[in-house]
Amino acid sequence: MIARLAVVALLAFMTVPTVVVIAVSFNPTAILSFPPSGLSLRWYANVVAYPQFRRAAVNSLLVTAAAAALALPAGTLAALALERGRLRGRSVWAAMLLSPLVVPGVAAGLGFLILAAGLGLLRSRSVLVAAHVALVLPFVVRSVWVSVRNLDPVLERAAASLGATPWRVFRRVTLPLLRPGLFAGLLFAVVVSLNEFVVSLFISNRVTEILPVAMFTYVVNYTDPTIAALSSLFIVVTFLVVWLADRYLNLAGVFLRP
Amino acid sequence: MRSRLMVTMLLALLMVPLVPPARAQNALVVSIWGGNWKDTVDKVVGRPFTARTGIPVEYEVGGTIDRLAKARVAKGSPLVDLNFTTTHVARLYISDGLYDKLDLAKLPNSKEIAREAFRSDFHIGSWAYVYTVVYRPDLVKEDITKWSDLWKPALKGKLALPDFDPSHIITIAALMEGGNEVNWQKGEARLKQLKDSVAAFYSTDAQSQDLMKTGQGPVQVMLSVNAYHLQEQGIAVKVVQPTDYPGVVGIDTVAVMAGTKQADAAHQFINLALSRDIQSELVRTLRVGPVNAGATVPASLKGQPGIFLSPAEWKERGYIMNDEARAKNLPGWREWFTANVVKK
Amino acid sequence: MKLLLLPALVVLAVFAAALAALFRWSLLEFVPGSLQTGGLTLANLRGVLAPQYLGAIRDTVVLSALTTVLTLVAAYPVAYALARTPSRRVRSAILVLTLAPFFTGAIVRTYAWVLVLGNTVLAWPVPMLFTERGVLVGLVHFSMPTMILVLAAALSHIDPVYERAAASLGASPARVFRRVTLPLSMPGIVSGGLIVFAWTLSAFPTPELLGGGRVKMIANVVKDLGLDSFNWPGAAAFAMLALALTLALLTALGRLAAGRPS
Repeated sequence: MIARLAVVALLAFMTVPTVVVIAVSFNPTAILSFPPSGLSLRWYANVVAYPQFRRAAVNSLLVTAAAAALALPAGTLAALALERGRLRGRSVWAAMLLSPLVVPGVAAGLGFLILAAGLGLLRSRSVLVAAHVALVLPFVVRSVWVSVRNLDPVLERAAASLGATPWRVFRRVTLPLLRPGLFAGLLFAVVVSLNEFVVSLFISNRVTEILPVAMFTYVVNYTDPTIAALSSLFIVVTFLVVWLADRYLNLAGVFLRP
Repeated sequence: MRSRLMVTMLLALLMVPLVPPARAQNALVVSIWGGNWKDTVDKVVGRPFTARTGIPVEYEVGGTIDRLAKARVAKGSPLVDLNFTTTHVARLYISDGLYDKLDLAKLPNSKEIAREAFRSDFHIGSWAYVYTVVYRPDLVKEDITKWSDLWKPALKGKLALPDFDPSHIITIAALMEGGNEVNWQKGEARLKQLKDSVAAFYSTDAQSQDLMKTGQGPVQVMLSVNAYHLQEQGIAVKVVQPTDYPGVVGIDTVAVMAGTKQADAAHQFINLALSRDIQSELVRTLRVGPVNAGATVPASLKGQPGIFLSPAEWKERGYIMNDEARAKNLPGWREWFTANVVKK
Repeated sequence: MKLLLLPALVVLAVFAAALAALFRWSLLEFVPGSLQTGGLTLANLRGVLAPQYLGAIRDTVVLSALTTVLTLVAAYPVAYALARTPSRRVRSAILVLTLAPFFTGAIVRTYAWVLVLGNTVLAWPVPMLFTERGVLVGLVHFSMPTMILVLAAALSHIDPVYERAAASLGASPARVFRRVTLPLSMPGIVSGGLIVFAWTLSAFPTPELLGGGRVKMIANVVKDLGLDSFNWPGAAAFAMLALALTLALLTALGRLAAGRPS
């Protein structure tokens, strides 16, 4: 009984800030008060009206799309190589591929800043894309590797023995069978890139910055609850996506052994 | 064929980084502090400017030092055209070669500007205010009437100070020990005593206002404009006219960035901001002291701290620091302050 | 076959180039006020060991350790419920509540705590915002989803048969937990703890927004030096230190984990 109460309390701890943010976002005045002194949508209107959020949202979509498009093939090929390649020192290669996970965000961020400044590339989004691909790659490799490991080579050998070229085998047999891993990898890539903040803070400027950076700038320079409104939108969308994923994609199966 | 489609999509996505980052055609980009500062300048100067010239205005917001760092990184091909900053930090911009000289021929309204507002060939004053003691009487039961009250034991853990520019408190502490901003070391011991009084440090105007609003930092060395803005929002704060030493005068300046492609538009904007009507409007809405000798100060605001009738009053009602000394000492002050007061 | 690794290696090469640039600049002399640098010097690395910075390093390690321990304690019950509950609805509820914050991003989550800790919801008896307490709360909250998922995965690998066997032999629930469940979940505890500890060492948004300028962790110092003081060599030296610290701790803890009988 106590255990059940503890779990509920802990889940409440995890959820209370969310509730507060959503409540505060409806405040009619710029004073952050809870419960809100009234109900107003003006901060939601401000989210839409503030030009920097629009620009940052576009940047986020572009950078994330590019990073995912580059990381997915690179990571898939790497996962195949790791599992099937009979490489010597495989664990070393694996460690290298997963290494961006271990590097502190500020170290990577500052490093990319110095590198890009030296190459004169700070005005374009290519630095952001380069950084995001590297940060997202480990997630793709890990996800696809799991699928590759579960892949029965018999199926591919069968297709080959029926006369299919290696490329055809890959396209018609291997890739479709890797779909769960690819999908998980894509999901992680998109989520990690869209939320990436620390590295991007160092290498963005006002014109290239992505949404989390724009939100941080707003929090530090304005005192109204606009970010509460934007956060609420994030929260609602995320809850919906996760709930749907759990309902239809058996999320539990991804994380737990059935 | 599906694979051809995939290849095309992939190539298209790889072109993404080559899509030039969006910047409205011909927009004039103004670098300024956020919150009520940007909102007011946009309403009072920016929109009339766009109405008159058809040129849209964009803003880059950030703290004082924040924007200096960004400008340094972008040196040579600036991302902004025109920069608002404080008069002494402007000298750091100048020594880094980040400003272009002002073309006074393109600033006819500068003829109405008081002499004191011409800070250098590169930057000109836009308005003035004071940094003084501001507190919330509802949260702080002490009577605070002078700078030295900040050291009262009753105020332990209630103070908030700026960490991006400690010049005000450093100078006041020096004055208390018979020194000034040049031989400021005299105040070092005094300053160290303040350590335990500080609850938090703020790096932007917004954070300063937040600390006062939430009561986390109910006593502050605060910019008068920020205090008045809080009053307008219904937060009762008291802006002190200290009886021992005056408030420290702050002069904000405007300048044109070196390498900008919008020099003409930038000068037009500045000229508009210096005009009598706009200056009077700024006094009324931002609660600052004007630089235009012909600007009017409403009777209800006369005499309030930071709302000077004219630049001539700066010396009478405030303490003006030597610009160059302040600029030269600022990096050292920040380092000393971080090591001795900020660090717990 | 090695060719398949090539695209990924190109990506990593760019990443390595960034780290190399960082390393190089940590050894260049800082010329105040500009991006010019002097020659090679160890001054930056020595400067990193200055008392004010050592304080930040010490604070970071202490906060990270506390976060790891508290998160472990808080996450374990939830992870156990997630792994063991027979009800699909309860499991879904816990999963959604755990994963959703994970996907909303650092700024959203940290800003929420700025509101809660900042006298918005209730007036705290002791100051929470801009103190180490507040930062600790934010860090624990941040790490909960990760820890819950890792622990739940580990717990779901434990066959309930063992627990039932122990109970049927007369052990009390507490004893079952202490002697069967806990030891069997140790790999999960270690890897969860490892991940949270390593992540928290380089935490940035939480101390930045909840720290009020007074609570500085390593990442905040790097940002202050690099983006505010414009001292790239100094910031680089500090970042290198953060990197070295993370790697050293992970290696040591990894060896510890490997040495444990599973």
